[in-house]
Amino acid sequence: MELQKEITITVQVNGRPVTAVVAPEESLLEFVRNRAGVTDVKCGCNKGDCGTCTLVLEGQPVKSCLVLAAQANNKEVWTVRGMAADPLMQALQESFATHGAVQCGFCTPGMLVAARSFLAHHQQPDREAIKEALSGNLCRCTGYKKIVDAVAAVAASQASARD
Amino acid sequence: MSSFAYAVPKTKDEALALLNELGPGGRVVAGCTNILPDIRAKKITACTLVDISRLAELKGINVRGEKVTIGSLTTINELLHSEIVANHGQVLWQAGQRFADPLVRNRATIGGNLANASPAADGVVPLLALDARVMVASLAGEREIPVDAFFTGPGKSVLQPNELITGVSFAKTTTMKSAFIKFGLRKAMAISLASIGLVVGLKGDKVDQVRIALGALAPTPLRARQTESYLAGNTLTPAVVARAQEIVRTEVKPISDVRASQEYRLHLTGVLLKRAFEAALA
Amino acid sequence: METTVIGKGLPKVDAWAKVKGNIVYADDFTLPGMLYAKVLRSKYPAARILAIDTSKAEALPGVQAVLTAKDVPNNNLRAKFGQSTDVGAQFEGLYRVLAEGKVRFMGEAVALVAAESLKVAEEALDLIEVDYEPLPGVFDPEEALQPGAYPVGENESNVVSRFKVRKGDVEAGFAAADVIIENTYRVPFVDHAYLEPESGVAWLDEDGVINIRVSTQVIEHFRTVAEVLGLPQNRVRVIGTWLGGGFGGKEDITVESFLALLTWKTGRPVKLTYTREESILAHSKRHAYVMKYKTGATRDGRLVALEAELISDAGAYTYLTPWVLLYSTVNATGPYDIPNVKVDTVAVLTNNPFGSANRGFGAIQPNVAYESQMDELARVLGMDPLTIRQKNCLRQGGSLATGFTFDRYVAVADVAEKAWQALGPVQENEDKNIRLGRGLAVGLMSYGRLTFLHDSSRSYVKLELDGSAVIRCGVPDLGGGQAQSLCQIVAEELGIPLEKIKIYIADTALTPLAGTTTATRQLYMSGNATLKAARELKERLLTKAAAMLGVRVAYLKIANEGIESTVDPQQRISLKEVINACATEGIELFCEAQFNAPFTEVPASEVISGRTFADFTFGAHAVEVAVDVETGAVEVRKLVACYDVGKAINVLNVEGQLEGGAIYCLGYALMEELAVEQGRIKTPSFSEYLIPTSADVPDVETILIESGAGLGPYGAKGVGEPACNSIAPAILNAIRDAVGVRVTSLPATPEKIALALRKEQ
Repeated sequence: MELQKEITITVQVNGRPVTAVVAPEESLLEFVRNRAGVTDVKCGCNKGDCGTCTLVLEGQPVKSCLVLAAQANNKEVWTVRGMAADPLMQALQESFATHGAVQCGFCTPGMLVAARSFLAHHQQPDREAIKEALSGNLCRCTGYKKIVDAVAAVAASQASARD
Repeated sequence: MSSFAYAVPKTKDEALALLNELGPGGRVVAGCTNILPDIRAKKITACTLVDISRLAELKGINVRGEKVTIGSLTTINELLHSEIVANHGQVLWQAGQRFADPLVRNRATIGGNLANASPAADGVVPLLALDARVMVASLAGEREIPVDAFFTGPGKSVLQPNELITGVSFAKTTTMKSAFIKFGLRKAMAISLASIGLVVGLKGDKVDQVRIALGALAPTPLRARQTESYLAGNTLTPAVVARAQEIVRTEVKPISDVRASQEYRLHLTGVLLKRAFEAALA
Repeated sequence: METTVIGKGLPKVDAWAKVKGNIVYADDFTLPGMLYAKVLRSKYPAARILAIDTSKAEALPGVQAVLTAKDVPNNNLRAKFGQSTDVGAQFEGLYRVLAEGKVRFMGEAVALVAAESLKVAEEALDLIEVDYEPLPGVFDPEEALQPGAYPVGENESNVVSRFKVRKGDVEAGFAAADVIIENTYRVPFVDHAYLEPESGVAWLDEDGVINIRVSTQVIEHFRTVAEVLGLPQNRVRVIGTWLGGGFGGKEDITVESFLALLTWKTGRPVKLTYTREESILAHSKRHAYVMKYKTGATRDGRLVALEAELISDAGAYTYLTPWVLLYSTVNATGPYDIPNVKVDTVAVLTNNPFGSANRGFGAIQPNVAYESQMDELARVLGMDPLTIRQKNCLRQGGSLATGFTFDRYVAVADVAEKAWQALGPVQENEDKNIRLGRGLAVGLMSYGRLTFLHDSSRSYVKLELDGSAVIRCGVPDLGGGQAQSLCQIVAEELGIPLEKIKIYIADTALTPLAGTTTATRQLYMSGNATLKAARELKERLLTKAAAMLGVRVAYLKIANEGIESTVDPQQRISLKEVINACATEGIELFCEAQFNAPFTEVPASEVISGRTFADFTFGAHAVEVAVDVETGAVEVRKLVACYDVGKAINVLNVEGQLEGGAIYCLGYALMEELAVEQGRIKTPSFSEYLIPTSADVPDVETILIESGAGLGPYGAKGVGEPACNSIAPAILNAIRDAVGVRVTSLPATPEKIALALRKEQ
C-alpha cells in the first residue's frame, strides 16, 4: 500500500480538469481557490461553521473546507461561476439581485449553491423549510429575510411553471 | 514536506492491513468533518490519513429479519432518506434531522460520529437508545461491541488503532415509540448542551421496554439504566415522571463550560426526559 | 418631489457581480512573486517582553523577512481615523504597530514574517523565540479604576476618558419622584463576526509607491501607514476592496501597516489574511459596559430624574474608546425629555481584548439600560409601554440633556406607535410550556461623525461624450449600498439610466477622499457631495440647453437622457447633443464637490454640552417572544422595525439595513458573548461564538416613515447603525412580559432565564 506525502490529483472544477500536486491535509477549499483559481468559493472560518465555502461535490452541496482535496480526485466540483448556464441558478441569481438579498456578498456564492441544490429537490417549500435548508450558511448582513424572499420567489415561479 | 501521509485502500482488507501496519500512526478518515478542524487546530500534527471514503462495501442500509444494519460510511443525509431508518430506527431518523446542518449531513458518516467519540454526538445518542452494536473489523477478525460499552471518555473509545468500524446494527423498533430532543444554543450548527434519545414500548398503559440515552451530560454518551429500571412496569403518571426526573439527574455527570453550567445541564436533564416521553407518546 | 430613480428598490450596481461570484475580494487577489505573511501573537494577556530571538526563523529557507518592533521606523503613533483635524490627546490614543516593552492583551502582534509560502511562514512563527515575563494584569474594569491597580500601560493611568452630563438637580428630582427604579445592567464584549476575515495585498510600484489593496472601512489610514514608515503621505496608496462586511471592525487599521512594512523590507508583493480565530483574537470588540441606572417618575408617569453611571471596559488599547464613550454619554438619557439629569461615564483600560467601533458605536449599550428602565417604570405605574414612552419622548423643539435642540421633526412617538400596533392582535398560545410576551423599545442615534471632527466628503462626477457618466468617490462599500446610492442620485439628477453610470470607489490615489464608511455617514456626507456635483453639472447642461432650445432654464427639466420644456415636451433636445455642444465650447463636463458637516469645537471639559452631532435618526422595535418556561429558550416570533428614514433612496437597501440591523442585535440580545476569562477568549471561533442562523430568526417586518427631515440628500437620514438600536431591550422587555424575569445582563441565555424562573418557584 502506497503512502503518499504528495498526491497528484485531477479534479473537474466547473467542467475543466485541474491537475495539481497536493499535500495530504490540503482541503478541497484550498485546492479550488489556490490551485484552480476559482475564488468565488470563500474562506470564512475554515472550520465548517460558516458555509461560505459551499460547493457541489458529486452532486451534493458540501462545505469544501471539510473535504480533503485528495478525496475529490477524479470527481466533479461545481461552483457558482461554473453554473452560469444553469437555468435554476440563473433564476436564483436574478432573484437574489432583485430582492436585495445581497449585501456584502461574501456569503452569496455559498448561499446560492445551497439554495440551488435545495430547490432542485424540493418542489414547494415553505419559508420554514427554506430557512432550515440554508441554516448551514451564515449571513451577517441581511438578517436572512430577503434571502428567503429570493429563494421563495424562485420556488413559486418553479411551481407555477409546472402548473 | 508534509508531516502527514495519505493512503487510499481499495478494499476493506487492504485498509485493515494498512491500519495494522501503521498502528497509532494511522487515522481513518471518511467525511472529514471532524479531522480537518483538528488538524488546523494542531490537535493532530502528524499521521497517515487512511481514506476509506471510496469503500463501497462499507455503505448501505439493510434489513434482515428483525435486524437493521447500517454501513459505517452511510452519511447522515442518507439516513434521512432511508425508509428503513424512518420506519424501523425512528430515533436515529429523528436525530438526523437535528444533526449539525444540511451541508455537513452530506458528508458526516455514522461511523465517523462513533469514532470521534464526542460526549455530545447527535448520531450516537440515538444508537444508544436503539441498543445498537458497533461492528468492528481488524486483521484478527470481526467483533461486535455494544454502543454502551464503546466509549471510555471524551474522544476515547475501545476502538484500537488497527481496527475499523464497518457498521452498526440494531433490532427494529418498528412498533415502539421514539423521540430525540436536542437542546443547543441555536437551532442549527449547534453543539448539544444536552440531548436525549428515547425508545419506549408500552403494554397497556404500562412501560414495557424503555431505553433512554443521554448526550453531553457525562464524559461519554450514556444510558440512564436506573431510570429505565424504575420506569419499567410503571404507568407514566405525573408522579412517576417526576420521580424518574429525580433519578435521571443522579445518573448524569455534566460539566460546566463556556456553553452552560453544570446546574443548568442538570436542570435540562429532567426537562428533556419528561419532554421525550411527551413527544414519543403524543 | 417627483422622482424617477430615487426611492426605487433597484438592484445594486454590485449585485450582479456578487451573485455571479465575480467580485475580487481582498483575499481573492494575487500577484506574481507574492510572499505570504503571518503574525506572531502574544501568548499572554499581560507580560513583559524580555527578549525576542528571530535568528532561527530568519534562517528557515523561504523566509524573506522577520520583523519586530525594533524594525518599525515609527512604532508608536497617535491613532487616527480619517479625520483631517487634530482633535487632541484626549480623543486620540496610542497606536502601536508591534508590541514593545509590555504586552497588553492576548493576541497582540509581536512579530511579522513574510515567506515564499504560507506553510513556511507558519513554520517560521514557531521558530521565533520570545522570552516573556508574565505579569498579573487586570481584567475587571472596576478593579482597574482602583488606586494601585495594575497599570495596563507603562505608567499612565488606566482611565482613558471621563465625561459628564449635568442638567437640573437630580437630588430634587428624585425627591419629587413617586417611583424610583434602580438597576445595574451588564453587557458583554461582542464580535462583529463579518464573514470575510481581515485581508490585504501590498506591493511596491515602479515609482516606489506602496500600494495596499485591503478590506477596510477607512482608506484614509494611508496617512498612518506613511507615518509608520516615515514616508511622505503621497507615497502610500490604499485601494479599498468591496468588503465582506465591516460593522465597525474594519475601521481601525488591521493588516495595512504589517503589509506595508513587509513589502518595504522585501520589495516583494505580500499577502496577509487572518484566519477566523486570528480575526477574533486581533480585532476590536464592542465595549463591555457596567451601567448603573436610577430613574424617577411621578405617579402620572412623567420622568423627573435620571442618574446614570457607565463604566466602559476599553480593553488593552484606546483606539476609538473616547469617541464611543462620548456617544454613550450623549445617548445615556435616550430620546426623553427629563428635567434633572446626572450622567457620569468612564472608560478604563484592562488587559482584555480592546474595544473600538461596532455598529451602534456606544449608543447601543445605554439603550439597553434606559429602555429596560422605562419598561420597569411602566410596570410599577401600571402603564402600557407605548403610553409611557409617548408621554416622555422628545418632540420637535425639545432638547437632549446636553442641550442639543431638535429643530426638525422628531419621530419617536410616531415610530413607537406604528411598531407597537404592527404586532397585531394577540394570538392563542397552545403550548403549555410556552409563554408569549411583547416588548417595545425606542432609540435614537446620530448619523454623521462627531461634529468636532470637522468632517467632509468629496465626490467627482463626469459626463462622457456618449452620454454616459462616471462617478469617482472614495467611499468604501461594505455591502450597504454605499456606491449604489450615489449612482441613483446621479441618475436622478442627470436623467441618465443607471446602467450608463460607472462608479469608481475607494482609491486614495484616484478617487476624491470621501471619508470613512463609519458613523452612518456615507449617504449623508458623500450623498450630499455627489448631489452637489451632479446639480452643478445639471445647471451647466440646463443653461446650455436653454440657449439651444430658446427656453428659459426655469421651464426646463432633465429626464430620460434629454432636456425638455415643461410646458411643451415637443421642445426637447438629447443629453448627448447638449454634452457635445458643451464639449465643443469648452464648458466643463465634470465637477468635484465637497460637502462639509457642521463644525464645532473640541469639547473643552469633561462636561459635555451643546452640539456634538449633526443630527439623529429615530426608530423603534416591537417584538413578540415565545419563552419556554422550562428550558428558558427564547424564540422571537414577531419583530417589527419602524424608522424615520427621512427619505429612502433605495427602498430595498433601507429595508436591508433595518432587517440586518435587527438580526445583528437579536444576536446581541440572545446569544452573542465574547467570553473572556483572565484576558483569554473562551469563544475563539465560530464554533463557540454563535451568531444567528436562518433558522433562528423571524422575518423582520419593516415600516419606513419618510419625513424628509434628514440632512442627507432629498431629506434622507442615515440608518445603518441606528438600525440595530433598541432591538435588544425590546426583546428583554418582551421576556419580562412573558415570564416576569428581568434579565439585566446580556445575552439573555436560556440558562439565565430558566434558573431565574426556578429561583422564583
